Amino acid sequence: MVIRDSVSRWTRRLARLARQRWEIILVPVGMIAFVGLWAFVRWLGDYPTFVLPSPWEVWSKLMVVAADGTLWYHSVVTLTEILGGLALGLTAATLLGYLLAKSPVIERLLSPYIVASQSVPIVALAPLLIIWFGFGPFSKMLVCALTIFFPVLISTIVGLRSVEQDLVDLMRSLEASRWQVFRLLEVPAALPVLLGGLKVGVTLAVIGAVVGEFAQSDRGLGFLVNLANRGLFDTPLMFVAFLVLMTIALGLYGLVSGLEVLLLAWKRED
Amino acid sequence: MTRRHASVLVLCVLMPAIGLLTGCGSGPGSQPSPKTILAMGYIPNVQFTPFYVAVEKGYFAHEGIEIEFDYGWETDLLKLVGSDELDFAIASGDQVILAQSQGLPVVYVLNWYRRFPVCVMSLAEKKIQTPDDLTGRRVGTPVTYGASYIGWRALLDATDLDEKQVELITIGYSQVAALATGQVDAALCYAMNEPVQMRAAGEAIDVMYVADYANLVSNGLITNEKSIQERPELVQGMVRAALRGIAYTLEHPDEAFDIALKYVPEAASDEATKAVNRAILAESIEFWRASSGELGGSDLADWQASQQIMQQMGLVGSEADVTDMFTNRFVVEVK
Repeated sequence: MVIRDSVSRWTRRLARLARQRWEIILVPVGMIAFVGLWAFVRWLGDYPTFVLPSPWEVWSKLMVVAADGTLWYHSVVTLTEILGGLALGLTAATLLGYLLAKSPVIERLLSPYIVASQSVPIVALAPLLIIWFGFGPFSKMLVCALTIFFPVLISTIVGLRSVEQDLVDLMRSLEASRWQVFRLLEVPAALPVLLGGLKVGVTLAVIGAVVGEFAQSDRGLGFLVNLANRGLFDTPLMFVAFLVLMTIALGLYGLVSGLEVLLLAWKRED
Repeated sequence: MTRRHASVLVLCVLMPAIGLLTGCGSGPGSQPSPKTILAMGYIPNVQFTPFYVAVEKGYFAHEGIEIEFDYGWETDLLKLVGSDELDFAIASGDQVILAQSQGLPVVYVLNWYRRFPVCVMSLAEKKIQTPDDLTGRRVGTPVTYGASYIGWRALLDATDLDEKQVELITIGYSQVAALATGQVDAALCYAMNEPVQMRAAGEAIDVMYVADYANLVSNGLITNEKSIQERPELVQGMVRAALRGIAYTLEHPDEAFDIALKYVPEAASDEATKAVNRAILAESIEFWRASSGELGGSDLADWQASQQIMQQMGLVGSEADVTDMFTNRFVVEVK
């Protein structure tokens, strides 16, 4: 009964969202316009395939590598690295973010180094990480985690500090435990900013995985881009890899957006 | 206005982001440059000494060529040469075979490296001196494509080494670190790079040259079919000037090195660095010498061997004719 009510409630919310977001139809319209523009530029410039392939050439290549399993193989590798990197990066960034938000001393101690570390280009650091942590997927996950670390850390700090002190005082006056304050006040209040940081993080995670694979790999979509560009002169294959990377980024972004809709429903209802 | 320029304009007007990225028509093809651009597939380095020498000795000027150097990735450079956005590039022959298989009208007009420079390097303590010694070992390759990997496959093909008895690991461009930390027993390298660094660091190493077992086409001067047809005198001038630069460097390596330092001052930032770079040039020179045939000439057998290996790897089909990929018609005897 409870489950049925819950499902019904979520269904109503999603239906309402669909009615409110009629402009969602603009997405396929935009996509068609983009492909049309791409085809037009290719036709106008009369570019050879190795400079700018046509949408049809990319589509044909997509069909070939999808049918022979190449695309699936490399996509799974990259997706695994992205998810592993997200797990590592989100855990580290939210834990440290909580510490920094709660302790001005720790913040003063660490923040100069954290900010300064952002000036180190991850593309230059990646080969070293691979030497230090091995040639397997973990080193790529680490590159991915480092890429998303800073935006998630900052959003965690900003989110937690956005909690009004009056509300904290009120909960304490009601003898709420530290855990209750965290669970019932701080987390819900920080969620909008946290999820904003997560949206940036998931798209950056895709770049992180590709950077790691560029530094060293014999599998994954980053490797496929390198192989197509540096090893095969196969520009349509490179575009196919781009398309899949974009799809992964959009999918992850969509997941976070969906999560946002579900978790922040209370905010809209308010 | 050509259609191609119009297409760039469309991109710039409709897609400001792409316009920003492409410089909105500021690329090499948007305005004809009076200079001839020679792009090299690496960064400024003493390995390009013959071309620096050709400038300083006036060999390019003697041909009426005002030369400008550029640097980048080989594949990008070949695409630019293939689309006539760039005049000349230095790249390896295997890249030409690949490029032609994808329809790029690029032609190899001067064979600079007479020996294929890829080697298998190992610490001396590992006692890897012949291909047989690699059995049961871990071998690192920077990537599983490109010249290093093609060299590896050629080595396997030319010897009795069983591919299944070697663990090939992709290690990126970290050969020195991977060997030093014992992550691999041997690594595929360019003979004039990592082995020179290892020796300079005092490490005892063994080097097994792929060229001792199978010679493949290597670095050379590349242009496009259009330039050969429409500006053969320019191609001839470039080849002659480059050949004179190579010949002078072979004859006067010390002076040539000093000339190169004008272009790569970082190569002499301290005495140790200078010594390493001088050793890099010395090692490179051994790959430029022609043991047989004239300097700069391509050997059909090398092209056929390279194409055969690449066919076995499934990188190219069998339809292409290697004689369309190179020409010796511009190669002249120089003193």
